[in-house]
Amino acid sequence: MAGTFIGGVHPDDSKSLSNTCEIIEMPVPSIVVLPVSQHIGAPANVVVEKGQSVKKGDIVAEAGGFVSAPVHATVSGTVAAIEPRNTASGRKLLCVIIESDGEDSWSDGLNSKQDISSLSIKEKLGLIRDAGIVGLGGAAFPTHVKLSPPEDKPIDIVILNGVECEPYSTCDDRMMIERPGGIVEGLKILMEILDCKKGYIGIENNKPAAIKSMQDAVKGVDGITVEKLKVKYPQGGEKQLIYAITKRKVPAGGLPMDVGCVVQNVGTSAAVFEAVSLKRPLLERIVTVTGNGVAKPVNVLARIGESVENLINVAGGYSENAAKLIMGGPMMGPSQFTDEIPVVKGSSCVLVMNEDETDTGEQLPCISCARCVDVCPMRLMPSTLATLVEYEHWDDVKDYGVFDCIECGSCSYICPVKRKLVEYIKFGKASLTAISAKEKAKESSKEEKPEK
Amino acid sequence: MKIVSEFTKGLYRENPVFRLALGLCPTLAVTSSVENGVGMGVAATLVLVCSNFIISLVRNLVPKKIRIPIFIVIIATFVTIIEMLMQAYYPSLHKSLGIFVPLIVVNCIILGRAEAFASRNNVLYSIIDGIGMGVGFTLSLVLISSVREILGNGSFYGIFILPTAYKPVLMMVMAPGAFLTLGYLLAFFNWIDKSGNN
Amino acid sequence: MSKMFKLSVTPHIRDNTDVQKIMYSVILALLPAAAGAVYFFGLRALWLIVLSIISCAATEALIGKMLGKPLTIFDGSAVITGILLAFNLPVGVPWWIPVVGSIFGIAVGKMTFGGLGYNPVNPAILGRIFLLISWPIQMTTWHKPNGFTGLDAETVATPLAVLKQNSRIILNRDSSTIEAFNSATSKIAELSDSYMDLFIGNVSGCIGETSVLLLLIGASFLMYKHYIGWRIPFSFVATVGIFTWIFGGYEGYFTGPWLFHIISGGLIIGAFFMATDMVTSPITFRGRIIFGIGCGIITSVIRLWGGYPEGVSFSILLMNITVPIIDRYTRPRVFGKVGK
Repeated sequence: MAGTFIGGVHPDDSKSLSNTCEIIEMPVPSIVVLPVSQHIGAPANVVVEKGQSVKKGDIVAEAGGFVSAPVHATVSGTVAAIEPRNTASGRKLLCVIIESDGEDSWSDGLNSKQDISSLSIKEKLGLIRDAGIVGLGGAAFPTHVKLSPPEDKPIDIVILNGVECEPYSTCDDRMMIERPGGIVEGLKILMEILDCKKGYIGIENNKPAAIKSMQDAVKGVDGITVEKLKVKYPQGGEKQLIYAITKRKVPAGGLPMDVGCVVQNVGTSAAVFEAVSLKRPLLERIVTVTGNGVAKPVNVLARIGESVENLINVAGGYSENAAKLIMGGPMMGPSQFTDEIPVVKGSSCVLVMNEDETDTGEQLPCISCARCVDVCPMRLMPSTLATLVEYEHWDDVKDYGVFDCIECGSCSYICPVKRKLVEYIKFGKASLTAISAKEKAKESSKEEKPEK
Repeated sequence: MKIVSEFTKGLYRENPVFRLALGLCPTLAVTSSVENGVGMGVAATLVLVCSNFIISLVRNLVPKKIRIPIFIVIIATFVTIIEMLMQAYYPSLHKSLGIFVPLIVVNCIILGRAEAFASRNNVLYSIIDGIGMGVGFTLSLVLISSVREILGNGSFYGIFILPTAYKPVLMMVMAPGAFLTLGYLLAFFNWIDKSGNN
Repeated sequence: MSKMFKLSVTPHIRDNTDVQKIMYSVILALLPAAAGAVYFFGLRALWLIVLSIISCAATEALIGKMLGKPLTIFDGSAVITGILLAFNLPVGVPWWIPVVGSIFGIAVGKMTFGGLGYNPVNPAILGRIFLLISWPIQMTTWHKPNGFTGLDAETVATPLAVLKQNSRIILNRDSSTIEAFNSATSKIAELSDSYMDLFIGNVSGCIGETSVLLLLIGASFLMYKHYIGWRIPFSFVATVGIFTWIFGGYEGYFTGPWLFHIISGGLIIGAFFMATDMVTSPITFRGRIIFGIGCGIITSVIRLWGGYPEGVSFSILLMNITVPIIDRYTRPRVFGKVGK
């Protein structure tokens, strides 16, 4: 019986554009642009200088704290520049730019087979941390932090997210079909580190080949099962995924570890296996390049730091009326103004839409149809939230749960009067954060005064 | 010239019903016919002028802390006088106005003008203010009750002015009609005011 | 040089349903009942429906123009108000009734507040109640369903009115004669013969509310498309059924003619098409159930003990006004929130 959650919408999944395209390994790039912040947490601190020569896998920026991750050179060559460049976040971030010397040679000590069984858990965690592995599903949370929950939060279930609920995206699908072994081995390592007996791999029913492939891969493996899930967006949201598989509800404002679960993307699991078994840092990932705005949708294995422009070229270039570039899926991926941006650790999909697909309709006043309330997977009232934000009733905005919103976009998707609900909610969150920051600043300046 | 402006302010600029939103309860209740509206307006005006006069006369003698009960006593005296006169000379009007005649005592216009004007200004201006406000109140009542009586009964002051083919809108002489008429007229005057400012 | 792309906030795709689609589906769902109205009450019914639609649309267009708004009549909501208002009229009303009712309903009920989405009450209900209290005689004069043979000179009472008049006689048996009492009981017994007529609509009443069968066909289409939910209609109808079953009989409690109450009068059209109007009903799940129950209770109270034989319109109007406070106190619990 396929599990599911309350709410959600059913957009056209558009996966047929690329779900039969085998992964193409891209040639070694001539230049890579490596932002120092590709993850949640403190940005990495640059440790190389302009002109320095580096080998593939060398650390160019060290982790900026516990909740952080190092950045590695993804080609061997020379550091050409260390300067701000455009990134997918829409802002210019500090990047280390490396020009390849064509050799693509590994740094010493890396890319060597390890005896997994002889490594302690601490050593395994160390390898994962040094490999700079972050959540490859898009959130890019440092994996070694997720795998180090505090003592009072015991974990008994690990879930791998093979759901890939965003339309168009097929990178996880192809990985599960073509490289299932690494995923399962990675899951075993995760379960060992967290000392738990049960592992699930959640996959939506619209990926029958991937389900078969993973079921074959877990045959005979104790404690790991493949869970088939009903096709509904956003089944891949971690709270919805945990509920669908285990019926546990993550508390509002809480984390999966509060209910004894850890969720990782299937790609992250495979990267963990490579890091622990082959001492390979995270240097490349599978990216789907798709949409009606490219000539030939593909799934590519691209180096981190590769230019999105090159990915588009592999996909046959832009179609005549390509108009929108989205780094991610159509429901949550931010739209970009330029393609001169690098692939980063969290880039799962590059979507190009045509001119005629970009008109989302004129915004009209809310007719209280309540479809947004019906579909919200977090049981919020998006139309009320949007109105409260519009009238700037910030206390009510907080009270109605704006920070519980996962910004999945289901509400805006289903709204018949095309209200920009997610936009209002995002603005509401930003305004509330700014207000509380101002208040904190006021309070701390008040504290300083008596000392004078 | 100050006298003239003190008088005219009650007619439009500070009209008690449409600008100050005072005395809305009798406004809604008695405007089902023009005759009732005029009757109430005249009665309230008389009370207002007389009470403004007396209150202005004694304004410096009244201790601040107990001024409201004293005003009410003065107003109630005049309402009783007016009511008795109405009962004697206009019994049908007295019957149709019913309980709203004694309720003139707590009509916000009268107490409001006593508090806001008569207790702070001299006798002449207080009387002028009373006349102005009263006439303004009466005119407002006539306006509302004309709309209600013509639409809701086909008549004006009891004289049928619309052809018999017109089936009157009964709602207008009932409570909902009162609220709607008052509301729309208020909106209309607000709109005039706003476009006048632009 | 890189291409410049369009920017927008997520999500970048939308479901292709819009207001027009929803409204036109509702109009489609009302067509069977409209056909029934013409079949049972003749071409005059069609004339009333057309007049009503034109008046609603014209009022909305004119006032919209006066207020400087863009033309909104093509979203279909004015047409729906027109159809529903006409459905709430007896066939014999003069031509100006639907016109004046439409103008009032749209002007006061909708445009005064800013147009679609801002109205606090259902405009069709408002228009209908305005007509009922302003012209009670015209609005409570019914004819037999003669189809195309035209209106009888003789006027009849609706089944609900028959029930109410005769129930009064029976309940006040001390003050009525034996003949009056017997005739009242037999008249009420006759009503139970007419269940089939009540169901297909072959009874006197307002032109659109009589045919339960045709209305339910339209309503099931809308529920299949998820344009109206099940919560409001079912809680409304179930509450009326239960309430009238408990209190509606005069042989003691739990003997009331609940099926009769459900299929007569304006309950089906009210519960499925008017109480479910999106703008004026609650947006929360529990709120909708409370709304339906509230409508059901008020309807039953008016039908059993109030002055009017039918109470559906009043109950919907009264509950419309309570919607903001219902929404405030029935917020769904956020996923994963413990306690409040």
